Order: sequence, then C-alpha cells, then structure tokens
Amino acid sequence: MSEPAPATDHPLSFLSRRRFLKVALAGGGVLLGTAGGGLALRGCAPDVDGLRLLDAQAYRTLSRLVEVMFPASALIPVDAQAFDLPRLFDGWLADEPEALQGDLKTALTLVEFGPILFEARLHTFSNLPPAERAAHWQGWGHSRLALRRQVSLGLRKFFNLVFFDRPEVWPHIGYPGPSLGVVSP
Amino acid sequence: MSGAILDLSQAPPPADLVVDVCVIGSGCGGGTAARVLAEAGREVVVLEEGGDRTGRQLTQRDGEMYDQLYMDRGGRATSDLGVTVLQGRALGGGGVINACDVVPIADGVLRHWVERHGLTDFTPEALAPYRDLALQDLSASRIADDQLNRPNALLRAGTEKLGWRGEVMMHNRVGCAGLGTCLIGCPIDAKRNPRFVSIPRAIEAGARFFTRARAVRIDDAEGELKTVTFRSLDARGYHERDTFTLRARTVILAANAIGSAQLLLRSGLGNDHVGRHLMLQPQMPIIARFAERTDPFRGIPQSYAITEFEREDDPEHGLWGFRVEPVMGTPGIVSTLLPFQGAAGLEAMTGYAFMAAALLLVPDRPSGRVEVARDGRPVIRYTQREDHQRRIRAAAEAAARAWLAAGAEEVFVPTLPPVSARTDAEVTRFRDLRFRVAAAPLVSAHQQGAVRFAASEKHGAADPEGRVYGTRGVYVFDSSGFPSSASSHTMAPIITVSRYLCDRLLTRMRA
Repeated sequence: MSEPAPATDHPLSFLSRRRFLKVALAGGGVLLGTAGGGLALRGCAPDVDGLRLLDAQAYRTLSRLVEVMFPASALIPVDAQAFDLPRLFDGWLADEPEALQGDLKTALTLVEFGPILFEARLHTFSNLPPAERAAHWQGWGHSRLALRRQVSLGLRKFFNLVFFDRPEVWPHIGYPGPSLGVVSP
Repeated sequence: MSGAILDLSQAPPPADLVVDVCVIGSGCGGGTAARVLAEAGREVVVLEEGGDRTGRQLTQRDGEMYDQLYMDRGGRATSDLGVTVLQGRALGGGGVINACDVVPIADGVLRHWVERHGLTDFTPEALAPYRDLALQDLSASRIADDQLNRPNALLRAGTEKLGWRGEVMMHNRVGCAGLGTCLIGCPIDAKRNPRFVSIPRAIEAGARFFTRARAVRIDDAEGELKTVTFRSLDARGYHERDTFTLRARTVILAANAIGSAQLLLRSGLGNDHVGRHLMLQPQMPIIARFAERTDPFRGIPQSYAITEFEREDDPEHGLWGFRVEPVMGTPGIVSTLLPFQGAAGLEAMTGYAFMAAALLLVPDRPSGRVEVARDGRPVIRYTQREDHQRRIRAAAEAAARAWLAAGAEEVFVPTLPPVSARTDAEVTRFRDLRFRVAAAPLVSAHQQGAVRFAASEKHGAADPEGRVYGTRGVYVFDSSGFPSSASSHTMAPIITVSRYLCDRLLTRMRA
C-alpha cells in the first residue's frame, strides 16, 4: 500500500535536534560577538563542589530555573531550593549517553544567553531580575521557534517529575502518597 | 538444561554458548516465544536489557520507576520531541508497566491484513485459537463494575447520558487491590504479565533469561549458526560493561517496533523496508476538573472506554476512528503533562485530587521510521498526519462532551497554550486545536510496524511467517510486523501473533 508524503507541521523538521542546537548556538555566538561580549555579561558563578558533569555556570542557570518553576507560594509552601534539584539533574545527566549530555549542556548555555539572543536584552538569564526571569522563561514554552519549545519541554519534564515526586509536596496537592507507604528509593 | 534468570550486571554468562533459539526481548512477544519454544524442547536463551523488579522493588515512586522500568529512563521521544515514546525496559517488557488493558485483535483488522496486505494466512479463523490462548495466558476477565474508580465511573455516566456506546474493559489483573500505580509497576504482582506467566513457564522448561544484557549485533544471518553479540550493563542499566557472544540456530527479535528495527539496522540486515512504516499511534490527554474530589490516583486507572466512534473494519485502514479511556498517574508524571509553569503550574497541581483525565486513542497510518545514530541509539522520526490531527480534534470534542455531561466544571486539553471549555457550546473550540511540536503532549504507548510483514519483499521487511527477508532464521515475533494498527492496546495481539508464529516455526523445525 502506498504511503502519501507526510505533512510537515513545522518548517525545521528536516533538522535533527542536535544539528538544530548547534546551528542555533552558532547563530547566537555571532549575536553575542556583535553585542560586545556576552560572556562578560554572564559574570562568574560561585563554585559548586561535587558536580559530576556540569560546571558552576550551568548549575547557576539551573538554580535560577528552579526558582522560576517552583516559586515560593502560599499554595505549595515548599522550598524547592532545599531539594537541590540542579544537583539531581547533574547526577542524572552524568549517566546519560554522551550525545545527550552535549545537547543538554548546549541547551543550558542557550537558556543562559536567551535574554540576549531572543530579546536583545543586556542581561543573561541568571542576571535578570526575578520577575523578568519568570516572564522570559514563559516565553520559551510559547515560542514560535521549535527549538525553544523543545528545550522548555525537556527541562520542564525533568524538574516537574522530580519535584512532584517529593513527599514534602504531596500534602499540598491532596495526594496521600503511595498506597503501600513510602519506600526509600 | 536448567532454566534460570541470570543478571549479567552481577555475573558473566556461560562461555561458548550455542543454543537452538536466541530471543531478543522478554515482553509479550519474546516471553511468549521463549515459553512455547522451550516447552517444545528447544534450548532457549533470552536477552533482556532491563532488570528484574517485582513486589516491593516496585516502589510506586515516579523518579525511581520511570528511571528503571522505561526505555531511556522514561525520556525516549521522537527526534523532534514531538511524541513521548513509552516503552518498557524490564524482565516482562511492556507488560510490567502497561495499564493491563486486554483488547484482542479484531476480526475486521485481520480481514484487512488478508485483503489489503496479502497476509493470506492471517485469517480470523486461523488466528482464533491463538487469540483464545492469549486470553488464557493473560487470565483475561471483564473488570467488575464495583472496581471502576471515580473518574472511570464518571466517564461512564457521561457516556450513558449522551446515549453513546461504551464498555467496561477486560484486564489481566488477578487479586487487584486498586493501588493505582499500574503505569509504574504493581507492587503486589497482581498483573498476569509475561513476568508471572510465560517467563516462569519458560524457565521451568529450561529457558535462560539474561537480564541487563543488551543485544548489539547479529552476524552470519544466512548461516546455520547466527552470532549474537551482546553487552552486559551495570546494575542500574546505565552503562555498557563487557562484550559477549553466543551462537544460535534461530534468532527471534521481540524488542518492540523500535528495538527490533534498531538491531536489524545496526546489524545491516534486511531490506530497505526495515525501519520504515512505523506507527506510533500517538495519544493525547484531555483533563477534566470536578468540584468534588475524584482521587484519580487510586483504583484501576483505565477500566471504561467510549467505543462509539471506533471502527474495527474500516476497508481502507482496518482499525480507525478513535476511542476515549480515562487514565491517571502519580503526581510526577501528571505534572509533566500539564502546560502550566511557575505559580500557575503549582496552582494547577493543587487540583490534582479533583481531576479526571482521559486519553484520546487514535490509530494512525505508517508515518514514521526508525534510524540508527552513529553510537547505535535509535533515532525515531515521525510526522503526525493531517487525518490523525483531525480525529484527535474530534476525539477531544467527544471526550469533553462526556466529561461535561458527567458534571465537570471545566475540561481542557493541555497544549501550550491550553484550550478549555466549560459548556457544551464551548467544546467546538477543540476544532481549532493546534499540534505544534513540543507544545502538544502526544504520547505513544503502542509502537508498531517498523519490520512490516508482507507477502513479498517488495512491500515489507519480513515474510508472513515472521522471517526477515534476506536472512535465514532471523525472525520478528512482535508488533514490529503489524502492517496496520492491530488494536487500541497491543498486549493481547502481540501474544496472539507470537503464539501463532511460534507454532508455524515449530512445524517447520519438525519438518
């Protein structure tokens, strides 16, 4: 039986995700150059001990991301920073295949320089004021650019899964926990 | 021969192994094949990439279980991240992590395979005895009315109010206590899946199951003895360790439509059809909010189906249309499907105990392919066709009407941005649903077709007996071979077809 040509629903479907990331970052590099030194805008991140794969810059990007994703709230009064979710991400990524490690490290760099690349701001993600950082991150999920939505989706999936898997969160969402009780992983 | 489960993360396999049959994958196709062939006196070794987890090792926790029971630690997806691809990775395969839905392959689908795909031996009459055996293997039974949890009972009430056709489904649970975590394994082992049916029987008959064993290549595919190269993994299945080989007269691939095609491609085996004709049957959730608690995380997650709009005898496609079934998971996985972020995301999850979700199950035509990256990993390419999008929109509209008829305050599809309705008049909004990549939560749990059965090698990758064209004694006995979607849930069809093909293989071996 013949198969009709599938309809493409986004213009860059011919690019693999890896190639897409590389192209985007290369383009971003040009923009950064003309912007006069994006790296200087990023500044130094504090040292972090015990990371398996990521560097302090990526750790700081993820920490800011966690603040945006799980803000202090009266609805769920849980301090997400106390869970050290960026370190969990680092541990998870360290056991993933090299190709994925490269993709995600690139994606984190893209998130960090997102305000410069996509909004022509003079701040990196970590250096944006918190309210503006939240608004900027919202833009990733709704972006017309598939790459930004893909990055948003991937990071959102990981952090949501591990955050809502925490017993400290369950009382606030009406979940009584596993029916046979909690078994430590 | 003495059967056993051998964990290769702890001990190496025996050296210089030569067996009658090597089966790749221990799920519904592979577990069944191992049992039938071992009981027929063949020496069988099964290679399974996952580990063996049963009972309280199935912790009911999202993080640990998606990591340990799913392929790519739960992160498998199409190359554009458009469709999440759920695939089991454990001794017992997909049967360990599925929702236990037993939906046998329909006569109309088999007639379609005979008439449109030239599989003239796959008649309803020929397959009927094997379908019965599959139902026996699964201890299949109709779910009792009092086992419907609140969301399923609500969807049933809404469906009946609208006068639509629906049904309480069959399942393969025995002794179910309604713990609600079927999608991350049953800690009281109530699932009659391969891990507790075909695998113990196969072991009794002498089969050996190597866990944490990843098959990476098949050589000498035209020779009397095929060489299978495999690697042991570490205890958590993250990293490859040592390389081993065994030799087998027959190799049976049952590693799911993705894995079976991947291994053939890595080995350079088969014709140009290998990897093509992939069907992902992408599903999409629709979520209802109720004023009262629904406690969707308890009880059997999926027990009722709206079948009003499903056709099993479409002349062009076989299975077509759509059906709608409730579903729910643990908080972690549910949160990943919601489109809200930041404070809005937290607020949405505070309504978790008041939600009811349904899956829109929409069969597709072949629309994808499996390729292999330089490091050997599969690359899954898929394009959602316009006709699939159209039926998803219609399914969303129907599901929304049923939820609203059941008393839901609001229904929404978790796309970015979400589309919602509070009244019957508003459900027409779902006619404008968009399916932008990484903004529509499409999920595949029933991958099929990447090593398609066909009467000639012009049209498919394997012959009607499952033998891969261009090989001698390399077979596929899983959903890879299905030329069109076999069912809304593939467990029973895979066991049916595996049993059928095993009988054909044994007849030839005896001859």
